[in-house]
Amino acid sequence: MRHDQYKELLHLSFYHELNDDEQMVLTDHLKNCTECQIEGESLKKLESALGQPFEVSDQLLDQARRELRVALRLEAAKRPFLTEWLERFNILSYPGLRVALGCVAMLVVGFAIGYFVFMPTGVINSEGSMRGLDQASVQRSETRVSNFRFTPQSPQEGEVEFSFDMVTPVRMKGNVNDNAVQRVMAQALLNEQNPGARLLTVSTLSSQVGATKTPDKEIKAALIEALKSDGNVGVRKEALKAMQKYAIDKEIKDALLFVLRNETNSSMRIDVINYLEKPFLADRLVDQDILNGLKQSMQFDNNNYIRIRAKNVYEEVIQQ
Amino acid sequence: MSQKHDSHTTDTMIDLELIQRAKRGDMGAFEELVFRYDKQVLTIAARHVQSSEDAKDIYQEVFLRVYRSLPKFQLRSQFSTWLFRITTNVCLTHRSRRKRHIHTSLSQDSDDEHGGRLSEAITEPSGADRRAERTDMALHVAHAMELLSSKQKMVFTLKYYDGYKIREIAEMLDLADGTVKRYLFAATRKMRHALKDLV
Repeated sequence: MRHDQYKELLHLSFYHELNDDEQMVLTDHLKNCTECQIEGESLKKLESALGQPFEVSDQLLDQARRELRVALRLEAAKRPFLTEWLERFNILSYPGLRVALGCVAMLVVGFAIGYFVFMPTGVINSEGSMRGLDQASVQRSETRVSNFRFTPQSPQEGEVEFSFDMVTPVRMKGNVNDNAVQRVMAQALLNEQNPGARLLTVSTLSSQVGATKTPDKEIKAALIEALKSDGNVGVRKEALKAMQKYAIDKEIKDALLFVLRNETNSSMRIDVINYLEKPFLADRLVDQDILNGLKQSMQFDNNNYIRIRAKNVYEEVIQQ
Repeated sequence: MSQKHDSHTTDTMIDLELIQRAKRGDMGAFEELVFRYDKQVLTIAARHVQSSEDAKDIYQEVFLRVYRSLPKFQLRSQFSTWLFRITTNVCLTHRSRRKRHIHTSLSQDSDDEHGGRLSEAITEPSGADRRAERTDMALHVAHAMELLSSKQKMVFTLKYYDGYKIREIAEMLDLADGTVKRYLFAATRKMRHALKDLV
């Protein structure tokens, strides 16, 4: 073996890439080669300078997850329904169909371009525009106008044209069971920055939830979203409480199992185990997904108590 | 060994099930898939860019690409291999876009213009008594890393800090094993040279 090949072995040994035989060959060589001994020492010093590998903090990971969730929501909203449908059924993998769909798409784009080119621009005139707005609130400065832009044009007889964004504060009063009220609250739960407001929203929604009621799809989705991803543990806990009031279905079951697998707060995982125990005892029903979730917790959860608790519940269910 | 193989097979099966559900539009399954690997993705990104904000950008870009491409993912390779290949690609292109900014921010040892210092976003592996000394050394190491080419740095961090095998790195970066070794040895040489006065 040439000397430079021993040197390569030395470097590979530094990176733990040698098998036992190669390591023995290198060890034998090192006994007699001063140059490689010096090289080896130098690599050891480098190792001490480079230090220990670091781990990213849970806080950074949580932030990244929250931001990703928002980005995914936007991405999902952006995704054309047709593309999603085509992808789901794998239609785009047939070349003939792909060409046909391409032609149809071009035709549609052509029509759309024609429509926009020949349609008059949608400028709102001042008489018409303010009809839909609350003029009084604008005058009282309750409405915030931002992103104000003049469209460049030569003023003729004092006419101007501009665009702007308008945010108007709204005060809403109504029964918490009212659909419109609930929908606004669901949106607030998903988008409000203030954790206190989110907490209040979720506990208000929670107080109105009942197992006998058919859950509103949007409210349920918002509660599930909050349970899985809200940055504030109080909000997540309150969402969990609310979920427990609904009759368990597949979506709720998936959300609870998600908490069992991914929630960082151990008391919430314990709450889920306690809850999952109930339908079993009441209905003598064995659900394979729940069993798998419990099995995973009893084997891999980093909390001793949870492992024991999950094991007890699992064994109880199995014995039934 | 057999236990390791079993757990690997179970992981693959779980991935497979989640991918199929995610392909059918189940967002929960996609999230679960993300959560299985996202810490590794964020760690690779953070080690590569030395900035928590940039690391988050990379993390987000990686999973958005995965989300967009998942319907076309044919299950010919392992999901993790595919994911880490995307991660390394995004890291490499990201660095080339922001190279100058990062270099400047590291030189100034202050919050970079894209966000917080990485030192604030990492978990220290041991006690705090030698923190100042370690921070100083970490800064020198970060400077030395900036002397590496993008691929040298990626190979070096994946190997030294993340502990991947050369074969795995070759697969992630779509390179031959020999090429990975070449990058790795060159990186080692440069790092030794850059840190020679400190060790």
